[in-house]
Parts: sequence; C-alpha cells; structure tokens
Amino acid sequence: MTSDRTELAAAMADAADITSSSGWDFTCDYEVDCGSEEHAYIVYKTLAVDKELQPDKVRREMAVSGGKLLVHFEAVEARFLRASFSAFVDLMVLVTKLVEEYGDVRQA
Amino acid sequence: MASPSSPAKRRPPGPLALGLESSANKIGIGVVSMSGEILSNPRHTYITPPGHGFLPRETAQHHLVHLLPLLRAALAEAGVSPADLACVCYTMGPGMGGPLQVAAASARALSLLWGKPLVAVNHCVAHIEMGRAVTGAVDPVVLYVSGGNTQVIAYSEGRYRIFGETIDIAVGNCLDRFARILELSNDPSPGYNIEQLAKKGEKFIDLPYVVKGMDVSFSGILSFIEAAAIEKLKSNECTPADLCYSLQETLFAMLVEITERAMAHCDSKDVLIVGGVGCNERLQAMMRIMCSERGGRLFATDDRYCIDNGAMIAYTGLLAYAHGVTTPLEESTFTQRFRTDEVHAIWREKEMPVLNNIHSDAVTEVSVDGVSLPTPMAVES
Repeated sequence: MTSDRTELAAAMADAADITSSSGWDFTCDYEVDCGSEEHAYIVYKTLAVDKELQPDKVRREMAVSGGKLLVHFEAVEARFLRASFSAFVDLMVLVTKLVEEYGDVRQA
Repeated sequence: MASPSSPAKRRPPGPLALGLESSANKIGIGVVSMSGEILSNPRHTYITPPGHGFLPRETAQHHLVHLLPLLRAALAEAGVSPADLACVCYTMGPGMGGPLQVAAASARALSLLWGKPLVAVNHCVAHIEMGRAVTGAVDPVVLYVSGGNTQVIAYSEGRYRIFGETIDIAVGNCLDRFARILELSNDPSPGYNIEQLAKKGEKFIDLPYVVKGMDVSFSGILSFIEAAAIEKLKSNECTPADLCYSLQETLFAMLVEITERAMAHCDSKDVLIVGGVGCNERLQAMMRIMCSERGGRLFATDDRYCIDNGAMIAYTGLLAYAHGVTTPLEESTFTQRFRTDEVHAIWREKEMPVLNNIHSDAVTEVSVDGVSLPTPMAVES
C-alpha cells in the first residue's frame, strides 16, 4: 500500500482555494492507493464509522474507486480543516499499516 | 486468573478473545480464554514529565505509535494466530475521545480483516469483571477508583448500579494533580509516587472532608491543599511527605465511608476494589479494617490487573459474546460518556459458573497475609 505523498502535497496546495462563497471555502482532497478494492473497502468501512465531530464546520466525504480510497474534506475555516484532516490522516496511517500487516492472511 | 507465564503450547479450552484498551494514558492489548486464563496482556503507558498531565492529542499519538507493536507482542506471547480468536473486543468508553478512537478504529479494521465479530465493552464494567474473575469475589460491593472515575457500585437486576460517586473530579485525578504541584515523577504513575512519599509522612494536616450522602467531592480538597502546600512548605511547617500522607488519609477515609454505607444498603459483606487507585496499599489497608469490623472480606488486586489493560476488555467482551452479544460495525463507535449502569450485564443474569482456577489462586493468598481477618487479598506483588 502506498499513500501517495505527491498527491497529498498537491491536495494541500488546493486547500486554501477560496473561489466559491457557499461558506465551505476550505477544501482538501486526498487519495490513497490501497492496492486492491477489498483493502480499500476495509479502510473505508473502518474510517466511515466515526462521523466528523462538528458537522456544521467540517464535512468529510469518502469513496472507493478501483483500489483507491478517495477522501474529500470541506470546512468553513482553515483551522477546522487542518485539525480534522490531520487527525484523520494519523488514524488512516495506522489502519493502512494494520491492513498491510494482516491483509494478506485472508487473501492467501 | 493465571498469569501469562504459560503461553503457546497449552491452549485453554473454549473461545479466545482479543481485547484492545486505549481510553486513557495506557494502551493495552490482551488475549484471554473463556476460562479466565490470560494468555498475554502487554501494555504501554504514556508518561509525561513531572508537573505535566496527559493531553488527549499527544496521548492519542502515543497510542497510534504503540498499537501495532503491542498487537504483534500480544499474539506472539499468547502463541495464537488471528484465526484462533472468537471475537475482537475494544473499549467503547468512557474515556478521552482521541485515545479511545485508536482502539475502536483498530478493532474495526481487525474485525474486517480477520472476519471476526466485534464486541464493544464498557471500561468500568470491564474493571469489575476482571476484579471478580481474578479474586473470585462473587457479588461484592465494588469501589471503582481511578484517574477518571470514582464510583461505589453493586449489582442488581441485570445492571451494575451506581450507589455513590464523585460529584466533580475522580480521586485519582485529585492525587495526580497534587503530584504535579509537588512535581513528583509520573513514572510509573503519580499515584504510586504519592503513596511512597506518604509512607514518610509524620504530621497530619487537617483537610476538608467532603462526603455528601453517598457522594464525594474532591475538587475543593485539591484547591485547599494546593494553597496549603505552597504556604506551609515555604514556611517549613510541614514536608511534602506530610501533605501526601494527609491527603491520602482524608481521601481514602471518605471512600471507606461511602463504601461502608453501600454495604449496609445492600446487606453485603464483601468489598472489591478495582481501578488504578485500587492498587494503593494504604487504601486497601484502610478498607480491610472496615471490612473486618463488619465481618466482611476485602478483595483487591495488584497493578497487573487493576490498572487499565487489554485482558479486562477481552474477558468482558468474551462474557458478552458467549451470551450472543456482538456489536455491528456501523454501531462500533466510541463515546466519552458511558455510564456503568447503561450496560445490560446479561452474563450475570444467567449466573456464569465462577472461574474455579482463579478462585483457588486468590484464596491461597489469605494465609500468606497471616492476619486473623477473613481477607482473601488476591495476588502477590
């Protein structure tokens, strides 16, 4: 599994893209290649259970496409985006490590 | 419960469970069997510098780093593979949100990867079940004392009922925060270092004593002693040891009082102390005196069992699992507030046979104690 660091950097660059005026001005997109659709769904299902704590300030949408997990964040302020995004990524790194460690057991 | 000294080779009969605990500053992962045998129970504590408490974000970071190594250790030490497990259990709450999420999310991922059911466990109930299993106490009044909780509990009609509790901070929080004032080490825990220092105390400083019916309050005592410490230490009126001694005596006397009243209410003679503060030997000694005066028995455990650990979560999850309780993935959340009496203790209703191997362990310790009291004080240190 390879978390795509370059795409992450690109996504972060878009983070302060203040073009629309809907209030949800701070967005961030993140993509992780999980190697297989099965693994991508495991990461998706694991992380989808916990809702964003301040849904009026930060929204998170996730989807699986091919073997990739796609994550979209939008927030009303940059600090909310930063806090939610960084906590999410920290947890996702652990979940992907668990998938790497134990994912092949069942597949094999 | 047998200690994890006999791993691998000899697999105990019945289902096995994995338990993940991360509600406070400890992260622990344990493997236990239905018979109450602990196959492994490694844990790691986030220890902050003297004068500092642990904050949710940093604590969660600590847990994220240590989860995978602990998981590997827990499985290896137990000599089991994921396929051998019946279920994956985790602490749903109460506790600090960020830290709780680490075990919750990991348990979900492992459940999906291994194709095993999830069981969400109440942390307080897990302390009680672990205490009962280790000591063999059948239906005691329970004093649950830790850094985050202070409750007097007794079982009645399917639930652990809270008879009395703190109305502000937990007793462990009061001790921990006083340890910060004195800048005592947080290694292995601030409470342990207060206990050691208190042994050298000679002079008793009068402190407020705040019992309100069945409830207790500690925050005012903390404010009082914080101010007194600064003043009296400066003027050499007393030593830090005197303050630790006086604080312990006062807080523990309050706890003994409400526990005794709960015993009278419940017409129960046995007391079980669980939770991190429960390994304080002075608290155990004071409680033992009260129990003996009432012709009762004190059950308590040492730091291996009363401090947060994964095995207590695994064991309690397994009790629920054996009675058909599992947690669907969509409902496998975590929650900072989760009261002890919200849990339907279904396994108590059908009265599970009490784990015999444990019982004998705990009772043999009585004679070692040598005191004339009928006091099965469990577990050597």
